[in-house]
Amino acid sequence: MFHFILADLRRNWIGALILALLIALATALGVSVTLQERALRLGSARAAAAFDLVVGAAGSETQLILSSIFLQPAPLPLLPPETLAALRADPRVENAVPVGFGDFVAGYPIVGTTSDAVEMLGGLGEGEGFSHMGDAIVGAQVSRAIGDSFHPFHGAVGEAGEVHSHVEYRVVGRMAPTGTPWDRAILVPIQSVWATHANHDHDHGHEPEQTAGLAAVASVPHDHGHDHGPGFAGEAVDESELLHTDNPGVPAILVKPKSIADAYNLRQQYRTETTLAVFPGEVLTRLYGTLGDARRILGFVATGAQLLVGAAILMVVAVHVLQRRRQIGALRAFGAPRPVVMGMVWTEVFILVAAGVICGFAIGYAIVRAISGYLARNSGVAMPVEFQPADLWTLLFLLAACAAATLLPALIAYRQTPAQALRS
Amino acid sequence: MLALSVDGLQVRYPGLPVPALDLPSLSLAAGETAALVGPSGSGKTTFINIVTGMERAGSGCVAWNDENIAGLPEGGRDRWRARNVGLVMQDFHLFPGLSAEANVLLPQRLSHLRLPAGMQSRARELLARVGIERPEQLVGTTSRGQMQRVAVARALVGRPGLIVADEPTASLDAESGAAVADLLVELAQEAGSTLIVASHDGRLIERMGRTLRLENGRLAA
Repeated sequence: MFHFILADLRRNWIGALILALLIALATALGVSVTLQERALRLGSARAAAAFDLVVGAAGSETQLILSSIFLQPAPLPLLPPETLAALRADPRVENAVPVGFGDFVAGYPIVGTTSDAVEMLGGLGEGEGFSHMGDAIVGAQVSRAIGDSFHPFHGAVGEAGEVHSHVEYRVVGRMAPTGTPWDRAILVPIQSVWATHANHDHDHGHEPEQTAGLAAVASVPHDHGHDHGPGFAGEAVDESELLHTDNPGVPAILVKPKSIADAYNLRQQYRTETTLAVFPGEVLTRLYGTLGDARRILGFVATGAQLLVGAAILMVVAVHVLQRRRQIGALRAFGAPRPVVMGMVWTEVFILVAAGVICGFAIGYAIVRAISGYLARNSGVAMPVEFQPADLWTLLFLLAACAAATLLPALIAYRQTPAQALRS
Repeated sequence: MLALSVDGLQVRYPGLPVPALDLPSLSLAAGETAALVGPSGSGKTTFINIVTGMERAGSGCVAWNDENIAGLPEGGRDRWRARNVGLVMQDFHLFPGLSAEANVLLPQRLSHLRLPAGMQSRARELLARVGIERPEQLVGTTSRGQMQRVAVARALVGRPGLIVADEPTASLDAESGAAVADLLVELAQEAGSTLIVASHDGRLIERMGRTLRLENGRLAA
């Protein structure tokens, strides 16, 4: 029986291949919509999971999360220095690290922060932490080796900026991979960022810039007595500066509370007229809520395409079986029992359809792997492309539906007498 | 070895006033050879379909060795045919993707869970007997004469009590046709099978023991 089916498939291999390919592509379409959406959702959720609470100046919650966690450059208003000082002194806080941005080098954002941030994000992979103003720690995906030096560019990634030629950082450590956009970040002491911009703006006599971030640093009075000239790179990092209220402030603070109750307390306390405190998860959930509609529409489109392809294929198969009536009639004339003939027709069609569906899952997986890999390289957000137990049910359901649908051509083969089939 | 006894058989098709086949009475002895002749449309194919159980008889009795196949359901007739009938048809109905040997064995493979013992060697013997030298050759690559000889081997492999051939030589050239006719008659006689051949081929007809002439669905005297 299988011998015969194989011979028949071999004889019609071009048609069979095209049919299976069509089914595979239709399946891949649906599978990739599901997998890609899941990869984006899980990837961004896992990227955000490393951050418990984000505090920023009053403004857009979404922008605060996008900037501080996903490191998307945007002008953010600055928090007054008191906020950072208060949070770092707060007994409910295990860790509060400032995030200051505004510079970049070779497409990598430079993030001004403290050495606590490295601990918060999973520690160092190699090298050592900050100890001097000119030290830098690179994210796992940054193509800079320990010992390399660079000048930061002013501005944001992708824009033409001017080089801070008087500032030079030297890479002293590399973070362990985090699966977050911070893998593409270069961490430097926040004190250096303050100094760089104060210095820079003094040098060029800029008017105070209102495009916040750290470009606004210059607008803040700046008289805490350090020498911020070109030679500051060798100075030790002064952590006490973070507790003073005379620094320019920062656009965002990542807070790790001691307990969940503390987290809710802090969020409550820092939701004021001038400050904003959010759990990244709540913002992402809201975003997914918006994106969910888009996904549902995509899902409908994919399902519609699959149904159309399915109907077309069923037609093709039915026509094919009708054309084979004589062959089927002959098989029965020579003594093949009716259920065997029906089984053969069903098996042959089902082999094609099932092969198509299974290949479609593989193709969909491969496509999403490729897209997610590309996205991950560009954003630093690790995108987990994975099947879940529910997908197995989808696959089984699809196969069962195909098994039922392919009964139609088999029934055509079943219904006619051999004499009718041979006459046609 | 099967003997046929037809009694009061009438086959009617919807929309036709006269029966396509009307046989009040007909007998064939076991091992008899009969040629079925008549113009096209005279009921030859209907007769073959009825006596092989490929089509349901309208009314009457079609008994082979006292088993009335007209009373059997479709599945029952299929099983009876698989056990008792070897068919040879004008356009062979071989399966091009399979070898000569696989074609000969296909009906056996499909109607048994496992190929009956000795069937494969019997297939090889028969193929040798009908002059097919390479049983492994794909049947689509052989000549028409060879194809019909493979079909003859297929009809005989299950040792049927009845061999029915519908215009077995009509689509062959004279030489191949003669060879197939010889094989059919010789092999049926060796096996002792009853042989019914519908044909226009005079040389084949005259080798049959008996001629049944059909006209408008009735046996002419």
